[in-house]
Amino acid sequence: MRRFDMYVPEDLTDLLEYLDSHQSGVHIIANGSDLINRIQRRQVNPRVLVDLSGLSEFNYVRKEGNTIRIGAMTTISDLIASPIIDSRHDVFREAAAKFGGPSIRNVATVGGNICAASSSEDLLPVLLVLDAQVRVKSKLGERVLRLEDFLKGKRVTELKANEILVETMFHELDEQSACAFEKIGMRNSLIIAFVSATVYLKLDKKSKRAEQIRIAFNRVGGKIPERAKHTEEKLRGEVLNPQLIDDAIASLRSELRLSSDFRVSGDYRSDVACVLFKRALDRCVEKLV
Amino acid sequence: MAKHLLKFSVNGKDHALVVESHERLLDVLRDRLGLKGTKEGCGTGDCGICAVLMDGKLINSCLIFAVQARNKKIQTVEALGTADNLHPVQRAFMKWNASQCGFCIPAMLLAAKDLLDHNPSPTDDEIREATSGILCRCTGYVKIVEAVQTAASEMRK
Repeated sequence: MRRFDMYVPEDLTDLLEYLDSHQSGVHIIANGSDLINRIQRRQVNPRVLVDLSGLSEFNYVRKEGNTIRIGAMTTISDLIASPIIDSRHDVFREAAAKFGGPSIRNVATVGGNICAASSSEDLLPVLLVLDAQVRVKSKLGERVLRLEDFLKGKRVTELKANEILVETMFHELDEQSACAFEKIGMRNSLIIAFVSATVYLKLDKKSKRAEQIRIAFNRVGGKIPERAKHTEEKLRGEVLNPQLIDDAIASLRSELRLSSDFRVSGDYRSDVACVLFKRALDRCVEKLV
Repeated sequence: MAKHLLKFSVNGKDHALVVESHERLLDVLRDRLGLKGTKEGCGTGDCGICAVLMDGKLINSCLIFAVQARNKKIQTVEALGTADNLHPVQRAFMKWNASQCGFCIPAMLLAAKDLLDHNPSPTDDEIREATSGILCRCTGYVKIVEAVQTAASEMRK
């Protein structure tokens, strides 16, 4: 493996101070499950790695009012074991169940998933449909961004060289809202998905009107998880019925930018994306009625 | 800063080693401490063969730098049992001939121990889930599940 130095900060102040004064060639490492591979493949060539694995103060899941906050160093295992991620928020377990294997979930972090900004991060579409925000900090202060704005493209985020991501937060699901995740790939474990679909639905239970709906797909455009906003628009405010859902599926087919790669063809992705969307939507409704 | 003093515990014994930034935990366990029970399969996190327990949790030792294991407690397959005093999981794997070529077995044993420490009466599906990150290319999964069930019933006694 290529040689580099590793800086182990003593605490958050030390970390932010270091990042502010050393910016070139510095990469941040959380627990390593993604970055080590990328260093070995020479996709990342760090001069210095700054190791966050000792900063346990960022390993938490908290609820304040109706906001759920997840610390950046929370592992996927710790996230799904948290009592705050209750049965209403089972969507995290649905996404995590096929997220690597147990030995990956024990180290992969929520912050690492967000900052890696790649299409193999199953947590991203869930956080996108929950319209999550992220908090980033630097020596000079902090800022809060919508996750959607934070993610700029594959492996590209809004994070500046002197900043770190400290937490992500979102509005908890209430009795009117539900979220479901569907994924398909080659194995039952350690899957890099061919396609995944995640749906958030806020439903007026009496009228069956979709007050709010957000849909995200992974491995469809090919780069990073994205929302299907045109299709959302067709459904938002409408009473859900079979004809409307068929129309939404037709809209999806034209909206999704499908790409073929060595895993599967674009046509296959298109078919499966529509099926997974329908399943996820149906399960959201089931969870609510 | 390329060299670091790494203090950690491996199989109940405290160690203080000077390691380089780029050394993985797997490299240090095998090449510095001579614990060859932990194997390297793919080296990219896909096969799970290099699994060890860190603070009681199953992790891939190829996907973590040694420096990041500072102050942690590591358990490798060498800590499970001895030839005279096998761990129930090891005994059960022998009874069922659950090991074919044997390369994945150190990781399978640790995954099984990790599961049974937290869940004394797992279902077959829970066993499959707990070992799902570990690839056995002899594909001897049925006997592995049977062995873990046997170990579970023995450990409940």
